[in-house]
Amino acid sequence: MNFDLDDEQRDLAAAARDFLSGSASPAVARAALDEGADVAPGRGALVESGFATITVPEGAGGGGGSVLDLAVVAEQAGRVLAGPSLVTYARAAVLLTGDERMAGLADGSLAVAVADGPGPVLDAAGADRFLALRGDDVVIGGGQVSVRDPIDPTRGLGDVALADDLAVVASDALLRWQHAERVGRVVLAAEGLGTASRALELGVEYARERQAFGRAIGSYQAVKHALVDVYVHVEQLRSLVWWAAWAADQAPDELPLAAAAAKAAAATTLEQAAETLIQVHGGIGFTWEHDAHLFWRRAKVDRLLLGDDIGAFDEVARLAMAAADDRAGAVPSAAGAR
Amino acid sequence: MDFDDTPEEAAWRARVRAFLEEHRDDLGRRSGPRTSDDRVARERQALLYDGGLVGVTWPVEAGGQGGTPMQQAIVDQEMARADVPGPINLIGIGMCGPTVIHHGSEDQRSRYLRRLLRADDLWCQLFSEPASGSDLAALRTRAVQAEDGSWRVTGQKVWTTLAHLADYGILLTRTDPDVAKHRGLTMFVVDMRAPGVTVRPLRQMSGGADFNEVFFDDVVIPDSERLGDVGDGWRVALTTLMSERLSLGGGGTEIGPGAAAVVRHVAARLPDLSPDRQALARQRLGRAYVDSLAIRYTGYRQLSKISKGELPGPEASAGKLAGTRVALDLADLAVRVLGDDAAYAATADGVRTWQDLQAVLPGMAIAGGTDEVLRNIIGERVLGLPPEPRADKGMTFRESLAAAGASAEERR
Repeated sequence: MNFDLDDEQRDLAAAARDFLSGSASPAVARAALDEGADVAPGRGALVESGFATITVPEGAGGGGGSVLDLAVVAEQAGRVLAGPSLVTYARAAVLLTGDERMAGLADGSLAVAVADGPGPVLDAAGADRFLALRGDDVVIGGGQVSVRDPIDPTRGLGDVALADDLAVVASDALLRWQHAERVGRVVLAAEGLGTASRALELGVEYARERQAFGRAIGSYQAVKHALVDVYVHVEQLRSLVWWAAWAADQAPDELPLAAAAAKAAAATTLEQAAETLIQVHGGIGFTWEHDAHLFWRRAKVDRLLLGDDIGAFDEVARLAMAAADDRAGAVPSAAGAR
Repeated sequence: MDFDDTPEEAAWRARVRAFLEEHRDDLGRRSGPRTSDDRVARERQALLYDGGLVGVTWPVEAGGQGGTPMQQAIVDQEMARADVPGPINLIGIGMCGPTVIHHGSEDQRSRYLRRLLRADDLWCQLFSEPASGSDLAALRTRAVQAEDGSWRVTGQKVWTTLAHLADYGILLTRTDPDVAKHRGLTMFVVDMRAPGVTVRPLRQMSGGADFNEVFFDDVVIPDSERLGDVGDGWRVALTTLMSERLSLGGGGTEIGPGAAAVVRHVAARLPDLSPDRQALARQRLGRAYVDSLAIRYTGYRQLSKISKGELPGPEASAGKLAGTRVALDLADLAVRVLGDDAAYAATADGVRTWQDLQAVLPGMAIAGGTDEVLRNIIGERVLGLPPEPRADKGMTFRESLAAAGASAEERR
């Protein structure tokens, strides 16, 4: 049993943290909200850093790394509300498997987003090529983006009207599309983990300092326990993210359940963390001036991406019951207790 | 990252599994009705002990296996997998025994430990009192030393699991009320058959009777049965509580019914519900199942630390906190999907499994550290939040009783 990151992954996290916190921050997210400023690090810098294309094969100019590696980086991106999302790169890297356009993803010449349907498209802002599913084919082409008033501008959401000149990337590729979506859910959950974990830290810092009735408010159970409940959920989310990322790399049979569970838990945990961050801060917590609402904005948008949490919980229940049917009376697997 | 056993762990698991399979019929069923005959339960523990599966982490000279916490965790997992009930003397193995190992005399160790592991003697832990639960150090049971050196104990303990069957107990008493509450305590081994010890079973809200109140009326304890120094009882008690955490291995077992059993039950009942009720039930199941997966994989992170030789820290409290919550949620759903039967104590067919479980689980949020105490531990020792206010800080125990409005009789 070695369910932990290794030293290389810890080093990767540290390097990603250095890079991402050097450009992205709640202040940048605020500027995007106030003035429509660009999100950071932005497509160019993110690709140049190599972090965006960790899962692109080396032969296509990427890092040749695992989904778990990318999840480790995504957590760091979530901490500083970075954009565009690594979800976009993770999905594109799956969808473009074996396609010559993959090199464009790795060298930054392809500014792509993944369009799931008629609804809001993640990172549509700044994209000029769109991957989509047509029938059972994965296709790519141009499109018209209309960006509307955002809740969270760092997500670059927009409605996309695809152009007519769509090229087929892979035909009969429904399974690939689903796999990409699940990998996307894992990376989204990893970003949510970072955001929730940072919101918790900010809440704890404030509760240690802020005095009321002659004592730090963090000494009161009402405040302390609210933060502890967030902590417990954040650590549980970390376990689900690691498991789901590991499953994406090593155990495809487990990925549907793991990805849905991670997606759902990320949505509820990030909302809880952001709402607690506001509540712990009291009056200052719901001002425009304070950063708390930047985390809350991320929570309110992310819960709806790649299917909402209610749908993901339903999916978990269906998968769990289907597995119980298949294994009626079976004992756990021979290797270990799993 | 992997979920595999090391070669050593795999070999140990195979050995444990083979033993449990070989003795399958003699070891009972965890999921079946519990035996009401403690002799059977004692024999089962003795069998497990002879197979090397009891006292895994205890030192060899204490009768144990000198093994690792990871080996203990594997035993826990395999016993759960094989549906084998845990040893009857669980509290003795996890708490009382280790306290004797650390603080007992050579004579006590040789008289008690092996017999405890084989369940020749059953043990209980006499800590909580009617007026001191979470605030354990506020306990009032008094021990006064007589001229011949022996001690006279008077007071009451409560919530004492197994006291009605126990041969011995570890007993935390107040020997000096005129110092701060943590400083005036002393620990003893008490013979539960001694004159003046009265045990009265307490019936729980579920109808079961697993624990007791225990009265001490001028009970004589020889000084040779003291554990640790006079006035050092708090430190000795911390050994007991730390051992509890270690003995639990962690990461292997679920609290309550287990998610898999509830999933099977809900899947079987779902077709009887209307489509809109089915959707609501799936939503509840999905939420509880995600939580149970999260707890399982968080347990694997703990287990990975144990496998590397690290000890579980205060963050392990999160496992019990979250495990209790999800067990309550799962049991609640399991009862709800019974439809009209959910309002009765048993189904029309006479099955009461889920209703009984629903009545047992509220106690899990209290026993072995309340949810509130666990949150304080995590908040203060993991998150570094400031400690709870303590109104009795800087007072002697006697002064704190007076401040709390205790009667003159209680303060004597």
